[in-house]
Amino acid sequence: MALFILKRIGVMALTALCLTFVVFFLTNLQPNLEKLAKTQGNARMTDAEVASWLDRNGYGGSMVSRYGEWLGVRPGWTLIDEETGEVTGRCVDLGDSLEDAPRFCGVLQGDLGYSTVSDDEVSSIVGGRLALTGKLMFWAFIIMVPAALLVGVLAGMREGSRLDRSLSTFAIATTATPEYVSGVIFIVLLASSQTGISPLLAEWGWIEGRTLFQGSARQAMDGANFWNFTLPVMTIALYGMGYIARMTRASMAEVMTAQYIRTARLKGVSFRKIVLKHALRNALIAPFTVIMLQFPWLLTGVVIVETLFNYNGFGWTLVQAASNNDIELLLTCSIVAVLVVLITQLISDIGYVFLNPRIRIS
Amino acid sequence: MSEQLDRGRAIHPAATMYAEECLAGDLSRREFLARTTALGVSAAAAYSLIGLSPAEAGGHLASAPMGGDLRIQMSVRAGKDPRTYDWNELANMTRGIAEYLIELNPDGTFTGVLLESWEANDDATQYTLNVRPGVTFNNGDAFTAAHVAANFEAWCETEVEGNSMATRMGALIAEGGTSAAEGAIVVVDDLTVQLNLQRPDIVIVPAMAEYPGAIQHMDYIGQDPVSHGVGTGAYRIARHEVGVGALLEKNPDHTYWGTAYLDTIEFIDLGTDPAAWFAGADAGEFDMTYETVGEFIEIFDAIGWTQYETPTAATIVLRPNQSSEPYNDPRVRQAINMAVDLQEVLELGYDNRGSVAENHHVAPIHPEYAEIEPVAVDKEGALALLTEAGYADHVFEITSLDGGFERPTTDAYAAQLRDAGFNVERVIIPGSTFWNDWLNYPLSSTGWNGRVLGVEIYNLAYRSGVAWNEAGYANPDFDALLDQANGIQNSEERRAIMAQLQTILRDDAVVCQPYWRSLYRHAQPNVVNAFMHPKFEINPHYLGIEA
Repeated sequence: MALFILKRIGVMALTALCLTFVVFFLTNLQPNLEKLAKTQGNARMTDAEVASWLDRNGYGGSMVSRYGEWLGVRPGWTLIDEETGEVTGRCVDLGDSLEDAPRFCGVLQGDLGYSTVSDDEVSSIVGGRLALTGKLMFWAFIIMVPAALLVGVLAGMREGSRLDRSLSTFAIATTATPEYVSGVIFIVLLASSQTGISPLLAEWGWIEGRTLFQGSARQAMDGANFWNFTLPVMTIALYGMGYIARMTRASMAEVMTAQYIRTARLKGVSFRKIVLKHALRNALIAPFTVIMLQFPWLLTGVVIVETLFNYNGFGWTLVQAASNNDIELLLTCSIVAVLVVLITQLISDIGYVFLNPRIRIS
Repeated sequence: MSEQLDRGRAIHPAATMYAEECLAGDLSRREFLARTTALGVSAAAAYSLIGLSPAEAGGHLASAPMGGDLRIQMSVRAGKDPRTYDWNELANMTRGIAEYLIELNPDGTFTGVLLESWEANDDATQYTLNVRPGVTFNNGDAFTAAHVAANFEAWCETEVEGNSMATRMGALIAEGGTSAAEGAIVVVDDLTVQLNLQRPDIVIVPAMAEYPGAIQHMDYIGQDPVSHGVGTGAYRIARHEVGVGALLEKNPDHTYWGTAYLDTIEFIDLGTDPAAWFAGADAGEFDMTYETVGEFIEIFDAIGWTQYETPTAATIVLRPNQSSEPYNDPRVRQAINMAVDLQEVLELGYDNRGSVAENHHVAPIHPEYAEIEPVAVDKEGALALLTEAGYADHVFEITSLDGGFERPTTDAYAAQLRDAGFNVERVIIPGSTFWNDWLNYPLSSTGWNGRVLGVEIYNLAYRSGVAWNEAGYANPDFDALLDQANGIQNSEERRAIMAQLQTILRDDAVVCQPYWRSLYRHAQPNVVNAFMHPKFEINPHYLGIEA
């Protein structure tokens, strides 16, 4: 078991290394650096000013050596201004003077770097944003998992029945509708004072405000409530729900045809008891993996939903970092994404062992 | 009369001359006000000179009850040295802390903020600035002439990357120098600064009101007001998160020299998509927009918000870059301009929310605007001229930003060219990369903010070799005439030269310029002084909320 976890961590590190190098390579292409210089300096700088800005801010060396600096295996760059004698450098701000400052300051030393757009340490930005996304994910899971299991079990216990057909249709419809479609439909139907049902409800005096729900989740960052948080949570939850429900249904349907279920039925055990006591536990093994596999999917969904609803979490940060070519913030986002995906997979594999004793990790 | 009006100071001789021109109908009221107040005549005196009640001056500001919290939708960027500001939003964010010497009012007049008054000598080579007494910084230091002089020195440092004030302060910098000329900036006493210009310059006063001209404490020059927080304004920044929001709150430890109504002002960044702004408004997330654009103007009207409009000299130009083929051939450029019906572009590209322009980038609201013959449209002639130049088969690649007013306008322009039988291809580039290369696209559209004077625009964008000369235009005759125009204060005389400049620019078909934009802003009905400013300014000190 320990060896297995160790191996997994090794894979994780290797994946993170490859992914960050790809991201680093793409964000450090010359046109992107030029863009960075112009957003940081002045939008209308000349080419000569751009070149001088890049040199002075440590973007001058080769790409591999800069990647090494970021990683913390090469000493950070330093530059001494010939006129003023002022020393600037990657690690200089960490100490009081050049001698005082550490030579290396990269990810390996625990320094995630500096976000050029936010003008702040990456570590102080990402934490708060992750917490916000955690909140969104948590509520999405709270809605999604029980609802999906319920739909799946109800549909799967009598395969081919009317209930099964209608629930399956619902599940397929939700999982076939991407977030950027369902989110927009929700906003138009439920959160606009001009279209959908809100103007009607307001006219009848059934709702106090102008809209049933809020089409912007910004206020949910400080104080989430039913009014401002429902739509983003529902948008994420619905998409994942259909998929889990389909898996649960398939697994349930399979279990319901198993020999021991038939035996139980022949013994005269009530249908209710068969489903709850004999079928359910076995039927939930497959959905468990699927639920854990939903994490990476949710992460992509979060990018869309947070941007759509203006919720400033991790997904939104990722979009901002990418569109502003905020190199070190984007790299940190990549690391976090790798960690989230691989850790959930690890949990899924370990959990599987406990649910299904036949499987051994070797 | 003038002495009474201006508290004992003589009125600049040019001002009375302008008044005569204005009364004779040669100069519009707006032009008159911009010119005279730039020379240091107070707005009240200027109104009196043309027989209007001085009460109309400054009448654009209503008073509001004290207190209240206001939320404004605006992009929130990382702070930096004000000299290098490249977005109006940056200045709006710090205007509650770092104030300006003077400001431009929506009616075209200038009023003093940190300056009480200013005067120019008769040939506009010497300006005397009178600092407002009794102003203190929020760290307790008194605001004096030394601070003003230090800021001027800083503005003149041409070697500071992205310092756009240096271009505007050109008249204080010796030829080829990189900082203010010897004796150009003189501290006369604690409350008086004298500017001795190298050459006559009438745009230095409007330049002080430009958004990079925020006044810094002399010890903090070159630093970011968001982080040091020192300034004369009534507010301080309580929270600032790039791309998310910023919160200004009234500084309890500071006695502000003027009046400030609101307790807090929050800037909320909802990204660049106007649809997201509207969703935010519908959800009650803010009370006032920074700018409302396009179809959303009507939609905001529909939810009961108050609309504010201001006509401006802001515009869009579609310019071929003359350093690239085939635009180095004047016939090609002329053919393009002949093919475009500007009125159509205004209607299709900007919903008719503006007035038609004339391909020479000087607006009727500019004081020195000269009326020259209207632009003629001749689609058949255009194609004939293009064929004659040998480029009938050329595929015109027209680049524009993805979004804003630029995209539909450029689409309409492209459609006009297609109508005339040109081969056109559209290239659309997202805002995050468009500006990397904005000077070099062979044929592209660029949005330009308004400037107070027509010569300002010409100096910035059409003089040979200047940084923002995106058309690659180089015409020594034009430069020589422009130099001449820069030194003339009399609008009649200057107008004669402007007529020549405008004609040269148009005959050379340097740009196609379809319209002057009107700008719009919306606010909840209870917001006081939310008016739209021609330069998008938001001054937190003026805003208030009605009880």
